[in-house]
Amino acid sequence: MSRQNGAGNGIRGPHSALTDFLASHNISANQIRRDAEARRRAAAADGTPDNQTEQQEEEEEEEDDVVVLPRRRGRRVAAVTGEEQRKKENKEIIDKIKAKKSFQKRKRLNDSDDDDDEELLGTLFKQRAAPLPLPGQMENCAACGKRFTVTPYSRNSPDGGLLCTPCGKELAKDAAPAKRKPKRPTTGTGVGRRRQMASAVLDGSYHPGAKSLVTLCIQTLAKNIDLAEDLGGLHPMVVDKIARKLSKHRLVDPRTLNLFLQSTAEEVNIYDGGKLSSDDFIKIFQTVPNLKQLKIRNAVHFKDEVMDYLLTRNIELEDFYLHGANLLSSEHWKKFLRERGKSLKSLRVYWTDKHFGDDVLAELEECCPSLERLKVSHNQAVTGEGVKSIAKVKSLRHVSLELRKSVHPDIFVHLLEKIGHDLRTFSITRVPNADNTILDAAHNHCRSLRKFRITDSEAMTDEGFVRLFTGWLNPGLEFIDLNNCRQIDSAHPRSNPDNVGLCSNGFQAMMAHSRKAKYISVQGCRHITAEAFEKAFSATTVYPEMRKLEISFCEEVNDFIVGSIFRSCAAQLRELVVFGCMKVRDVVVPHGKLLIGVPNALGMVIDGNDD
Amino acid sequence: MDTNGDSAASGKYITLVSRDGWEFVVLREATMISPTIKGMLRGQFAEAKTGRCTFPEISGVILEKVVEYFQFWYKNQDKEDVSDMDIPVELCLELLVAADYFGLDKQY
Repeated sequence: MSRQNGAGNGIRGPHSALTDFLASHNISANQIRRDAEARRRAAAADGTPDNQTEQQEEEEEEEDDVVVLPRRRGRRVAAVTGEEQRKKENKEIIDKIKAKKSFQKRKRLNDSDDDDDEELLGTLFKQRAAPLPLPGQMENCAACGKRFTVTPYSRNSPDGGLLCTPCGKELAKDAAPAKRKPKRPTTGTGVGRRRQMASAVLDGSYHPGAKSLVTLCIQTLAKNIDLAEDLGGLHPMVVDKIARKLSKHRLVDPRTLNLFLQSTAEEVNIYDGGKLSSDDFIKIFQTVPNLKQLKIRNAVHFKDEVMDYLLTRNIELEDFYLHGANLLSSEHWKKFLRERGKSLKSLRVYWTDKHFGDDVLAELEECCPSLERLKVSHNQAVTGEGVKSIAKVKSLRHVSLELRKSVHPDIFVHLLEKIGHDLRTFSITRVPNADNTILDAAHNHCRSLRKFRITDSEAMTDEGFVRLFTGWLNPGLEFIDLNNCRQIDSAHPRSNPDNVGLCSNGFQAMMAHSRKAKYISVQGCRHITAEAFEKAFSATTVYPEMRKLEISFCEEVNDFIVGSIFRSCAAQLRELVVFGCMKVRDVVVPHGKLLIGVPNALGMVIDGNDD
Repeated sequence: MDTNGDSAASGKYITLVSRDGWEFVVLREATMISPTIKGMLRGQFAEAKTGRCTFPEISGVILEKVVEYFQFWYKNQDKEDVSDMDIPVELCLELLVAADYFGLDKQY
């Protein structure tokens, strides 16, 4: 406490006895010196006030009396009489300023003519002539005249001199908006843009080069959608793109919805109905009388009353896609199927908890004779009973199920036995207990499958997959997704004595069977060995149609395998995903192909530009 | 304009003419992004012979923007991280129709 000598005393050396004595009596030598300096300066200021206006200066110059020259830094210049000498001194200072680099720079920046030159010189001269006090000293505020302590943060007054804190804040307030504006365009570039690009790559929407003109226009339109009143005359495909873009920005509301409801249309796609009310959905049926295809995501307010209204209209839907309509009761679903099921070809229902259950599916056989596509996703009500009802719908070609309730494998076997022969799509997601019996049923009954998905099975074995793909009379598949079909045992994470999941032999059999596959995902099938990959993608094997390949978390994948894949799938491959393949280090990626998920510091993606 | 006679069919530049008579001389290669123009310049059409395409539905202001895009696309063909071309809001819808007409909805 006794050594607190004030601000700016950062150095502590040995103290003299006097200093210690004074300090112990709370007297600071620094304080005394500062006060003395302040007094001296105040006395000098009385003679030549620092904050004179230019006019005052001129007036003074006109008097031919004793004139005190502006002080030079750190030195008091004695008063001198005579015009000549004063002019000489001033000229000296001006010359010095002119020679300075900063002056030249400012001059260039201002791009000034002679008048400005004079002005600039004037201000610089003033600044130089009256040096600003150093931090820690006392000073009179240039605006309000109050005395205050100068800090490093004290602001300069526009007329020279310093401002006290309140006046400085006032000045900052005035200056702030002008300062911020030009800065804005620079934010959001740099890192933001790079991040955006990485995001586009992962979305699969990345292309090198300029964006298409349609995309650019739609972007501008989406930004200014409140100005648009009508999209009449645009191609439906373009309108659909606008709808997607708006939904992405969550801009679909009752007002913008009108833009997409064209009375002649047969198709309405609403990608985000989160802001729409029941009345808005009713409006769709009012304005689009020929509706055939309806797709609504986040259709929270698609309630019973909306369905009631739909049933009063003469609308025969062929394709119905409803996402998140939890408030629509089972009764109304059944009513809809009974009254309008005849024309229905495709029914897709996502994210429902208790209202789209077995009783609704039981109606399908009777009510929907032409139903070809059925997708029930994220459903908490349907059980094995419902799946059995699906098996009775002979017209089905595409079946996709993602059920929360566990369904016994035998029921899926039953389904495949009944309608497997004509199925094009068989997709069951998150089925931990699905076992080899399903694979055998597919092998025995399916003859026209193109898309095949079984995920998260913990019971299927490598042998089962070999049996499925060997000698299967079904032609090669186009789409295969067997992600996370693997053994899970936390006690023995490494060993897999029974070859649970898709392993080496099954993988090879699959690749041999489906040479023309477009999409394959074996993500998380971590027991596929490096040899199996090497054999499947050997120098002589070609996969002419392959577009996207997911081999994330297949631990054995290394640089050589990635290179072999690029060679074997050279024709069409666009994306290869290798998250968690830690042996991939430094691969040369061919031109136009994407390798996503490389574990290096460069980023997740390498976009190949080697030819 | 400078797409005269003999070299017109395979010249380096082609001329695009708007409804109100504005003519734009553009690099032939730059217009190849548009399947519409590509189609016009192929085969035995008058456009292919003269290297001159007239668009009676499109005004000069819009065609100018489209031509600007052709050059913009050509310049940035293989570049990564291309900053977007500026689209004036008042032209947006008309330009969208024109872009659709010229088939400028895909990236190559």
